[in-house]
Amino acid sequence: MPPSASLHDATVVLDDRPVLRNVSVEIGPGLTLLRGPNGAGKTTVLRAIAGLVPLARGSRAVSAPPLFIGHRSMLLRGLSARANLSFFASFRGTSAADVDEALRRWGLSELADRPVERLSAGQRRRAALARLDIEQQPVVLLDEPFADLDRTGILLVRDAIVSAVVRGQAVVLVTHAREELDRDATQRLMIDAGEVRAI
Amino acid sequence: MSSLDRALLVAARDLFAERAQPDGLAAALTFTGMVILLESLAFGPGRAREADVASGVFWIAVLFAAVLISARSFDRDLEDDAIDAVIAMPGGRDALYAGKVVALGVILLIVAAAAGLFSIFLLDLQIALPAHLLLVALAGIIALPPVIVTTSVIALRVRARFAVVPILSFPMLVPQLVAATQGAAAALTGDGPAALAWAGLLASFTLVYGVLGLTIVPAAIE
Repeated sequence: MPPSASLHDATVVLDDRPVLRNVSVEIGPGLTLLRGPNGAGKTTVLRAIAGLVPLARGSRAVSAPPLFIGHRSMLLRGLSARANLSFFASFRGTSAADVDEALRRWGLSELADRPVERLSAGQRRRAALARLDIEQQPVVLLDEPFADLDRTGILLVRDAIVSAVVRGQAVVLVTHAREELDRDATQRLMIDAGEVRAI
Repeated sequence: MSSLDRALLVAARDLFAERAQPDGLAAALTFTGMVILLESLAFGPGRAREADVASGVFWIAVLFAAVLISARSFDRDLEDDAIDAVIAMPGGRDALYAGKVVALGVILLIVAAAAGLFSIFLLDLQIALPAHLLLVALAGIIALPPVIVTTSVIALRVRARFAVVPILSFPMLVPQLVAATQGAAAALTGDGPAALAWAGLLASFTLVYGVLGLTIVPAAIE
């Protein structure tokens, strides 16, 4: 079975500095955990898979355009959470009717029409993560999704990840915390100084 | 969903955001109004009313306004990495370019309409061929966004992009600026064939830079 996403011999150079060196990873369905110290290149691995950074060498392959949720909310200021999520749903060609249900599930029904810049960091994070319910792509890339969240929010993320894995999606999760997720992981990777190895 | 639908979605998203936070529009309206007012004072009532002076100043003001609006639009997209969400989606790069071009064109229409009316009343301009003037204005306005959005994308991750965008785009926009100024002056003075010829030239520039932008920008966005 071909991997859902992969990098082969990928090198990424940013600001004249190699951030990834000859990285090869294969991501299949299930949960892939990517850990490593600050500045090791975790975010760059996700951005390379998402096609958001150019590869100086090597290649990337994805079975379908991934859903990438970065460590910032990626929501457009000036628009509400509902408007942002409706935009993503329409762009993907999925039903915008699911937006209200997703906002309710993530505890944002009351705040759905408030401009995102007037939400707290945790609320913005929830609004961003509600995309997991709306855009159920085969490959999901999550960069520090637990940051800024309270206990309820953390549980919601864990539920969303488990649901995605049950649906057969490939979830790549970058996080420093949540060691308990190691039990659920199909694959655990460690990155240090731009080089990736399995652990 | 077609490429056109996706581009219109991005344009609608930009326009709604601008409506909620109209910083770009407000800055552009203030700037164009001030330039036209100062022009009337600097040149004096006689010269400021001359067709080529009035239309030249109008188009220079609109050109700077376009850069201001585009800068604000990309700033908003760079906050919280909102732009990455669009780029990472299928067809996102093309849609981002085309959507930004459409949104900038729509906002420029508003700015140009306000600035044009202000010029006409302040300078008491006589318009010999109003329909021709409207056509030239429309052709001039749609000729600017393809170039400005292309250079804005190229300079997206450059720290000094506020300086880089005009430096890159203005030399490319000199022919459009000349055509729009000459076309508007021709319409003001009653030279219909010349006005139509300049409008046709502006439309050609739009087509060339539109295709060029759609070819370059998807590869240039990082």
